[in-house]
Amino acid sequence: MTRVFVFTNHKGGVGKSTSATNTAYGIVSMLRHAGAANPRVLLIDTDSQAHATLVTTGSKDYGADDSLYTVLMADRHNAAQTLLNCLVPSTWDADLHVLPASSMLEGAERELNGLAGAPYRLADPLNQITNRYAAIVIDTRPSFSLMTEMGLIAATDAIVPVEPRYLETVGLMSVVGKINEVRDGWRQPNLRVSGILVTKMNARIRGHKYLLDELKSHSVLGPLLLGVVPVNEAVSYAHQCHQSIFEYAPTAPASKAYMDIVAKLVRTLAAGGAA
Amino acid sequence: MKRQNHRIDELLDSVTADMLAGGQPQFTDTGLRVERLLLEMVRPDPIQPRRVLPEHLHFDFHAGRMTPTQALRGLVQLVQVSARQRGRPFSNVLEMLPNPDDDAADDSEVRLTAEEQLLRDLVNLAVTIRDDGQVNPLTVVDVSHGVVQQFRIETGERRYWASWLLRDFIPNYTGDGMIPCIVIPTENTSVFRQARENTARSGLSAVAMARQAALLLLTVHGYEIPDGAVTNDFYRQALDLDLRGKREFTEAILSAMGGMKRGQFSHLKLLLKLSDEALDLADRHNIEEGKLRHVINLEPEFHAEIVHQIIDFGLSAKQVKELCEDNGMDENDEETLDRLPAAATKVAKLTQAVKTLSAGDIANAIIKQEGDPEIAFARLQALHRILTDALKHLSAK
Ligand SMILES: Nc1ncnc2c1ncn2[C@@H]1O[C@H](COP(=O)(O)OP(=O)(O)O)[C@@H](O)[C@H]1O
Ligand SMILES: [Mg+2]
Repeated sequence: MTRVFVFTNHKGGVGKSTSATNTAYGIVSMLRHAGAANPRVLLIDTDSQAHATLVTTGSKDYGADDSLYTVLMADRHNAAQTLLNCLVPSTWDADLHVLPASSMLEGAERELNGLAGAPYRLADPLNQITNRYAAIVIDTRPSFSLMTEMGLIAATDAIVPVEPRYLETVGLMSVVGKINEVRDGWRQPNLRVSGILVTKMNARIRGHKYLLDELKSHSVLGPLLLGVVPVNEAVSYAHQCHQSIFEYAPTAPASKAYMDIVAKLVRTLAAGGAA
Repeated sequence: MKRQNHRIDELLDSVTADMLAGGQPQFTDTGLRVERLLLEMVRPDPIQPRRVLPEHLHFDFHAGRMTPTQALRGLVQLVQVSARQRGRPFSNVLEMLPNPDDDAADDSEVRLTAEEQLLRDLVNLAVTIRDDGQVNPLTVVDVSHGVVQQFRIETGERRYWASWLLRDFIPNYTGDGMIPCIVIPTENTSVFRQARENTARSGLSAVAMARQAALLLLTVHGYEIPDGAVTNDFYRQALDLDLRGKREFTEAILSAMGGMKRGQFSHLKLLLKLSDEALDLADRHNIEEGKLRHVINLEPEFHAEIVHQIIDFGLSAKQVKELCEDNGMDENDEETLDRLPAAATKVAKLTQAVKTLSAGDIANAIIKQEGDPEIAFARLQALHRILTDALKHLSAK
């Protein structure tokens, strides 16, 4: 079964898009490096801000006919084909495909709200094409909205990027709780929280270190720690140049950290089992 | 599109080994895969000699002027028209299936048109797929390019059409629009494999076999096989080719054709001389080579007419032969030559008179007969062609 990683956290600016785009590209590269016959990864941008779309395709001019919005509005029968038609190649790698977001997604959320079956409008068509990909990565918007719910229902693995300052375990537990609600509420037994990703870590700030240590020793959350990405200016510069961190600054600490995370995810793909 | 960047490779080189410690993960392709694919990702092979759709739908579909659903709707409408003319109208395709409550005799008496038979077979297959809840996997080749994901059918085109029929024309479809496929790695695909799969199963018409033979010959002679649908003229290029030119492939070709003899092979190939209309008819009605071989001796404008007669009157090979021989030609008295067309024996006689002929006289005589130098030129060129071919036949004997 193809793993579908959704990067989610209702807080903004915690590194969801940065992590989603870079791990997606990292997985393609590492799979190809390992000689995988199919290194293709699909990145799905569900955030109407379209940051992930912009950095990976160089454009955010997607709309009624060529974006995720089109898929959500499509007739059930043709939704999978519509999805295929809306895919664009990323500028980062020919094997990284992107289903672009659109500013129209905001409206879609209103149009679809309350409609029967609405939360499955991404999961259903996606299910029909997942086996074409080695992995799928979904970026979400900073809220627990219908769009985010759709992303979670379509996913197998939720990864929660979080800044150290939000690391207090009460807040994290509430995110995990939300994800579990979606799993149980929409009967998605495949979905689980499979990783917490600490971003913008500054080891010189004593509070950061303290909160990280506390997380590590937590009985439930500790084992979920997927990786720690240091705060690193190269990340913002790469973002501004619409490049991946690996290409922009392969030797930067953040590159190494993200590569570590990619390796962990790739290992779970190879095992085909638990993270 | 190529990869633009490579800087990540250094990083990968430095970290992969220890990061993936605990055994290098196995991603290498282990050969055949069975995958469930979205019907829309799968496409029939336009060059496939075994054609399912009637000619005009085949071309419109492969030229991208019709979706699979539209092509099937075209077929259904075609059959509805002819069924109505024959007093068997239907509105739902399921009505095409024999009703088990009817008297069995009723069904065996009516002769179905080729299109009716085709649609009925597809409906039958669709219903079987529905009731069994599964379909045998097709074999497909991954021809995806970038974000365009596509698989070309090597075998199983009927199951493909039956699955579309089930999805879009039979009520209460509950499937998920996917079809199981065995994905053959591209490097393992070949016209030889496809030919073997085709001929191993019964039901390939003589015309389809002729196309298959042509495809093999064209391939080993290095012709480029186009991506889209091809006309009969594409296959007819093989009329100028033969096995002798490619000894090293002869055995492979004959075995791919189901282990036939050389003679059979060239007889089959010659069927491509049939006119377009005759080819389509003969293919659709599954007319045997033994009957068609006599038809190709006639001028192309008569081909379709004779094939119609073969179909309508159920002529035997012997009857076809007789029909094609005394096609308004002079009767020939000589016993030993009575099995040859009269015109051929006339040419044979002529060869004994070459000494008395002059080139200028011949030219003038033909112009006089045709009343137009250009037509005369064409006539003589045609004669020249056939004499050259006759020489080939002699040297083969
Ligand atoms: N490790 C990091 N070091 C420095 N800046 C970072 C890091 N990770 C993300 N950023 C920056 O933080 C901002 C928000 O990141 P982003 O990935 O867009 O968050 P989100 O998608 O969660 O809103 C961006 O400008 C990004 O470049
Ligand atoms: Mg974002």
